[in-house]
Order: sequence, then C-alpha cells, then structure tokens
Amino acid sequence: MPDLDKLHQAVIEGDWKAAAAATQAAIAAGVAPLTIVTGCLVPAMDEVGRLFECEEYFVPEMLLSARAMKASMAIVRPLLAAAGTEPVGRVVIGTVKGDLHDIGKNLVASMLEGGGFEVIDLGADVAPERFIEAATTRNANLVALSALLTVTMPSMKTTVDAFQSAGLREKVKIMVGGAPVTQQYADAIGADGYSESAGGAVALARRLAVV
Amino acid sequence: MRTALDHREPDRIPLDFGSTAVTGIHVSCVAALRDYYGLAAGPVTVHEPGQMLGRVEDDLRAAMGLDVTGVFPRKAKFGLPATDWKEWNFRGLNVLMPGDFRARTEPNGNILTYPEGDETVAPSGRMPMGSAFFDTIIRQPEIDEEKLDPADNLEEFGPISEEDLNHIERSVRVACGSGYGVVASFGGTSFGDIALVPAPSLKNPKGIRDVAEWYMSTRTRRSYIHRIFERQCELGIENLARIHAGIGDAVDCMFVCGTDFGTQTSAFCSVATFRELWFPYYKLVNDWVHANTAWKCFKHSCGSVERFFESFIEAGFDIVNPVQCSAAGMDPAELKRKYGSRLVFWGGGVDTQKTLPFGTPQEVREEVLRRCEIFAPGGGFVFNSIHNLQAGTPVENIVAMVRAVHEFNGGSHA
Repeated sequence: MPDLDKLHQAVIEGDWKAAAAATQAAIAAGVAPLTIVTGCLVPAMDEVGRLFECEEYFVPEMLLSARAMKASMAIVRPLLAAAGTEPVGRVVIGTVKGDLHDIGKNLVASMLEGGGFEVIDLGADVAPERFIEAATTRNANLVALSALLTVTMPSMKTTVDAFQSAGLREKVKIMVGGAPVTQQYADAIGADGYSESAGGAVALARRLAVV
Repeated sequence: MRTALDHREPDRIPLDFGSTAVTGIHVSCVAALRDYYGLAAGPVTVHEPGQMLGRVEDDLRAAMGLDVTGVFPRKAKFGLPATDWKEWNFRGLNVLMPGDFRARTEPNGNILTYPEGDETVAPSGRMPMGSAFFDTIIRQPEIDEEKLDPADNLEEFGPISEEDLNHIERSVRVACGSGYGVVASFGGTSFGDIALVPAPSLKNPKGIRDVAEWYMSTRTRRSYIHRIFERQCELGIENLARIHAGIGDAVDCMFVCGTDFGTQTSAFCSVATFRELWFPYYKLVNDWVHANTAWKCFKHSCGSVERFFESFIEAGFDIVNPVQCSAAGMDPAELKRKYGSRLVFWGGGVDTQKTLPFGTPQEVREEVLRRCEIFAPGGGFVFNSIHNLQAGTPVENIVAMVRAVHEFNGGSHA
C-alpha cells in the first residue's frame, strides 16, 4: 500500500501536510481507518520513539512527528468513532496541580495516541478532582500524571490518594513521569508505573492496560 | 574567587548564592534564612519576579559566608523596572515587588501578572495554586509563513538606552565596592533562551513565541532563526562595547546565555545542530569579550550537556553552570577529570531535585563534602547548588549545605 508508506514516511519526517494528504489518499483508496492506525501510525510513532531513544531524534523532531501523527489522527478519529472501534485503552493525562510545564506531557500524549490509545488530555495544572471526573465519565483505565518541578511533585501523591479515597484505585492504573520523578518516587506514592521517556511510557501503558 | 576562576586552587572554595538569576534563592527561602540567622525582619525584595528570587543583602551574604554578588539589568522579568519597591502579600509572605508589578488572582487561586504592569493587555505570567513562581503565558499570534519576519522576534532586543547604561554603571560601582566577586548580567546575549522566547516583557509579542513552535522552528525554519541570532549578536556586541566603555574591567564575569541544551536524560538537539545554529554566535560574543575585556564568560545550561562541553570551550565559554550532576552522563568526577582544567564548574554542589529539598541535613552534608572533594582540587570551582534554591527547601538543609562548604574550607562559619 504505497499511500501508507508515504504516511509512515511523513510521520517519521515530521511533515504534517504530507501526513494529512497521505491519510486522505489512503482513505480514498479504501484503506480501513483502523488499518491506518495499527498498520501505519503505531509503527511510525514506535520508530520515532526508537530514534529518540538512540538520540538520532531530539525534542524538535519528536514534536514535528507528533504534529504529523495528529494531522493524520484528526482525519481518522471521526471515522473510528463512527465505526465504533475500541481503542487499546483510554488514558486521562495532564500535568498535576501547580505545574504548567507541559511539553513532556504533550509528547507522551502524542506517543500514546500514536500507540493506539484514546487520549483525554486535560492540559496543565490539573486538580485531582478533574482527573477523577474525567477518568470516571470517560471510563478510562489509565491515568498519566506529569510533573517537572520538585515543588509540584507532591501533587502526584495527592492525586493518587484522591483516587484511593474515591474508591477508584482498583479501576484505573496510574503512571507517572517528569524530570525529577523516579521509579523510587513512583513506588513511594503508590503509582502503578513510571517511565523516564515518552517512548517508554507507551510500552508501560500497554503493559498496564492488559493487567 | 578570581583564583578559582584562573584554575588555581584558592585557600577556600568560593561560595555563591544570589549573584545571578540561575544561582539564586527563592524569596521564601531568603526569608527563612534571614530568620534563621537572626537578621533584621521585614519584607524581602524580589529582584527576579518570574522565579520569585529574593535579593541576598549584604547582611545575609555575610551570615552565610558568601563570596559573590551580582549586577542585574534595570528591567526585571515582565519588563518591570527594579525600582519603587512596594509590598505584596505573596500567599502569606510579605515581600517587596517592583513598583510596576501588577497581579490579579483568578477565582481558582491562580495569580496573573502583566507585561510592564499593564493590565489593559493580556497577562504574560501565571502562578498556579501550588506553585511558587510565575510561568510565562504563551501568546502566540497566528503564524503566516509568507509574512514571518525575523524583526518580529527581535522586538525585545535593541541598542541599550542611556537609562539602562546608567543603571549598570551605578550597580557595578556598588557591587565592586563591596569587595565581593562580581557577576554581571547585562542581558541581550541569550540566544533562543526558551524562558525568554515567549517575551514575557512584551505587551503584544509577534513572531514565533510558542515554546513548541520555537523548538520545531530550530529544525524547520533554520534560516529564520539564523537571521534572528545574527542581528541579536550584532546588537549584543554593540551594547557590550558601550557597557565596557562605561564600566571597564570592573566585573569578573559576564552572564552570557541561559539557553538550556539538556534534558534530564538527553539533549534538546544534536552537537551538529548546536554547532551549526548556536556556536557561531556564541563564539562571536565570547571572542569579543576576550579580545576587549578581562571578563570571564558564563554559560548556563541545565540537563545532560556533557556532549556540548568541547564546543562550549571552543566557543570561548570559561564557566559552566549549573553542572546538573543528576542528569544523564554528568558524573561529577568524570566531568572534573575531562574538563576541570578548561572549564570552571559554577554549581554542581548539591542536588536540588532530591537531596536538598527531600534529604536530611546529614545527607546534604555528605553530598556537599563529596562534591567539594571532587571539584575543589586545582581550583576551577565556585560552589553553588544545582540551580536556584527552590521554594519549600527546608532551611535546616540549606544551612547544612552552607556549613558543609565552610567545614570543607576548614572554618566554622555559619
């Protein structure tokens, strides 16, 4: 399917216009929307993650690829919804209360979306009750918390505790990340998982989603 | 300090807190330290209203046994002249803010602030509940590729005004009369500092102002970025010539640039990109400084940046900060071994992500002593924590850090 090759290449190269055009062409050629996601966008973003891990790609390239993937998803998403296609999992994501630094969170959100997850992005500076409300109303099975600052890391614990108090801790898995966050910290606050990279977050989410 | 900067071992490690906007102390910690040392009570001056850094006055400098002071531009972040100080209740702590500072509290408790204190335009800073400093609000106008003009990203750079020159000359006289080492932050030579790209001081920023859009532009609009940096570099050197004509070689170091090239585990670009896009401009600035002044050139970059150190040296940087030993590939002993004779490490003294805010005073002492043992031999080390002392850091840990440096120095100060 040459159109999917073009789409794959457009995502790797971070060309959002080419990605949108290739997506339209693939749909016009009769390629199933789910095939576009699982057969092209997921492996393309996996490759972007790999390139980032081996430091051939850096933040600018990741952002460009994420934008290209989103341009494709913007076309595909309504078709998936219309067909009633179920995602790999539903993730509510945001930076925790007090933290406005969202580049890392945005990259993780894009990688998760490119990995076949439905992503409910609550943005930055998200209070625990908003995470709970979104996880409940959208029937999410994963919650991803991000913090860049040492002063806002405690909001991660507050959020995990709030899920516990709301009786939802058994229903959702909580993953955490951000520059000062460590596996040790994740364990200490009772999170289910930690990843130090956006690519790793997708692998973690896949593991947690099937538990 | 001068001995240390010359890579000779001084009688004691010089100690800095408060000389720059990246080696400072959060205002709440300054207040706590003043209380701890029994200094005069009263509101602390916030000299950097973005990160809410408190001014380290001479009495606190003496109490902590510090060796460095700073010179700052006339206008602080958000375009606020550092004058006409007024009291502001900062979530229960009475502080002094620049007279033009304006704040509005949203119903959710977030605090907004405005460029040049002008409440008729959109706010340019926000401090969420739970945070302790202002983050810049992105105000990105719609981008029309056909009309993108590098001049739009140069609005905040221009010939230095007489008012600004006079301020710098006055500040340098005071700083140099103090007997401390002096770091001067003149402004204007930070190329693509992501904290400044959104132009928090401008009322209606134009050009590329969104953080993600800027990062992507370093890849997709490279000629545009080059044209910004070229002109910024010309203006910066012209301004440095005028500043130097006024102050001579009075200051010891010049803060050149705070652009971050590292993340916790990686970098924001490859070395090849750095050398193509940033290196030429750094070299022009640093070469001018070295050819015309006795100032040392100070480079700040957080994160995992060891890969750039050879390029930093080649570009003429003398000093690196904050030496984030907690980032990937930043082992202190290895850094000292490879670069210790060619770069001054201004920082790296103690981790501010874990040990200082969350450790015990004993853990802080042990880490500080270990770092001093690594970095001190042969000079080339000015003690500072890894970046500013953050809000919420226990004062006992800050004091333990200071005591440990003095313990290493063989004294019992503080």
